[in-house]
Amino acid sequence: MGEQQASNEVYIALQRQLYQEARLLSSEQYDDWLAMVSENIHYAMEMPQRRFREDKGHRVPDKTPIFNDDMAALMMRIGRFKTGFVWSENPINSIRHIVSNVEVFEAELAGQYKVYSVIEVHRSRLDAERKRLTAGREDIWQQTATGYQLIKRNAVLDDGVVLDSNINFFF
Amino acid sequence: MNPLDELVDFKTGRQKRIIYSDPGIYEQEQEKIFGRCWLFLTHECQIKEPGDFVRTFMGEDEVLVVRQKEGDIKAFLNTCTHRGNRLCKADHGNSKKFICNYHGWSFGFDGKLNGVPLEKDAYKDQLDKSKFGLVEVAQIASYKGLVFATFDETAPSLEDYLGEMKWYLDIWLDAMPEGTELIGTAMKVELPVNWKLPVENVSGDGYHLGWAHAGAMTVSSSMSVGGLEVGNTSADNSGAVSVAGMNGHAVLAALDGQSGYGFYPDPTSAVDYLEKNRQTVIDRLGEYRGKKMWGSQINMTVFPNLQMLPGLNWFRVYHPKGPGKFEMWTWAMVDKQMPDELKQTILNNVSRTFGPAGLFDNDDGDNLQAITEQSRGWRTKQMDVYTNMAIGGEHSRDEMPGVVSEGLVCEQNQRYVYRRWLEMMKAKDWSEVPSYNSLEEARATEQGNG
Repeated sequence: MGEQQASNEVYIALQRQLYQEARLLSSEQYDDWLAMVSENIHYAMEMPQRRFREDKGHRVPDKTPIFNDDMAALMMRIGRFKTGFVWSENPINSIRHIVSNVEVFEAELAGQYKVYSVIEVHRSRLDAERKRLTAGREDIWQQTATGYQLIKRNAVLDDGVVLDSNINFFF
Repeated sequence: MNPLDELVDFKTGRQKRIIYSDPGIYEQEQEKIFGRCWLFLTHECQIKEPGDFVRTFMGEDEVLVVRQKEGDIKAFLNTCTHRGNRLCKADHGNSKKFICNYHGWSFGFDGKLNGVPLEKDAYKDQLDKSKFGLVEVAQIASYKGLVFATFDETAPSLEDYLGEMKWYLDIWLDAMPEGTELIGTAMKVELPVNWKLPVENVSGDGYHLGWAHAGAMTVSSSMSVGGLEVGNTSADNSGAVSVAGMNGHAVLAALDGQSGYGFYPDPTSAVDYLEKNRQTVIDRLGEYRGKKMWGSQINMTVFPNLQMLPGLNWFRVYHPKGPGKFEMWTWAMVDKQMPDELKQTILNNVSRTFGPAGLFDNDDGDNLQAITEQSRGWRTKQMDVYTNMAIGGEHSRDEMPGVVSEGLVCEQNQRYVYRRWLEMMKAKDWSEVPSYNSLEEARATEQGNG
């Protein structure tokens, strides 16, 4: 693949980081999550459009942005949750972030790692309402004196049509 | 008395809940509303070159919209005329032909059937290919970049269908000399909601903003929008209008010339753009629209299923998928002449406010889903729901067309949307559909209940 695998030590540390991140996101511990996110974060997610394989001359992009956030935008989303006015999240809904298919490679800059993973989000809401969304993620994590920090996340949702009435959470 | 009259009472602002859940009513809507009205297909900017196509819907009918060799646009049912397979499975693209996956019938992008496998060996050259071309819509036309079609050949022209709504649409579509464009492709969400609920919401419901969106407003507001307050503690209706009575089309508009960018955390670049170009817009649209409306928070509804919010800059169409389900397609729409950086800012803000993960949009889905579900229970569905706020406030204004009421918090527009819905549902054909674009005409054509 041409990409240099990270050491086992780094692999284990970053896998541990992703599991911890998933737990923090599932339990809405957003301030703790932000502590592992860089000030210079670029947090993005796109959804796909369907194109014929042979159709290369796209005049419109084949992906559509859902998230394209810097730190200020992430803070705004989290600020909204904290207002107490987000009625759809009261009562509390159950949510699980399940991370798998973790691969870690050396990135271009020293101390940075490219991390691929698959994220599956389960949500249980009113009565029998249950939703499952999956996405592939491509992250850049930076080693710092205080631990690893997320500086870039590009997620691609697997659905061309979002099958939930809101995305009041992070991938 | 027509039994449909029971469903909607325009005078008192009342609807029967079953209009959001009854399968029989939904079936009639497919024929009488989506089978007859002009429906939005695409923006011309999305299909520029011959063979460029988009796949979309007119009601539950799937259509392919294709740019032709001579530059005109055609729209076909996306179905093979042989055994009925779906012809094209891509959302967008460029193709010189469409070949059916089932038996290989090949259609040109002009809709003609060009090739049939084994035409000689199996059909013995007896198939008249000229009779098996793709089925076209009855009428197709554009208004300032927006392409619409109807399945009804007796429908009025698109210009007449839009009527005085054109005066309002021009505040976006014709404000700047080069017009508008959609950025990229649609953000799509499927919601377990009756299609009329988002339409009525955006058509006139300024009431829910300060409450349903209190969380989003708290974190994103940078200026006053139409006198609304977080928590609905007060509402100053003096600087805004609700406009309807234009054959089902409706407008909510603040009149301050900048609040469209009120839900941008930093609206500086957008407001700079507005002030730099305001004189151009005044020259094109006149003082009133140029000064008071261009840049304001405005909700525009083109009956039955197209809505756009200049300022917040989203553009949206709803495709019904059964009585309790629809797909919502949202784009960012911008002036072509905007600087690229501002276009990117706007795209980000559309995703952030009204995309699938939008701060505002994520407040609406559950409410509208619950209303749909609360129109199903045996006892509950016998109940009514109401749009009876500010009845009697309707008036005319010299400076703008349509029926006007004061403020964004007012349910006039929803009453007129449901009035149009009832008129379309009751009419046997277009000759029975009344046409009105002013208070006088709206009153003269009002049909009594019973």
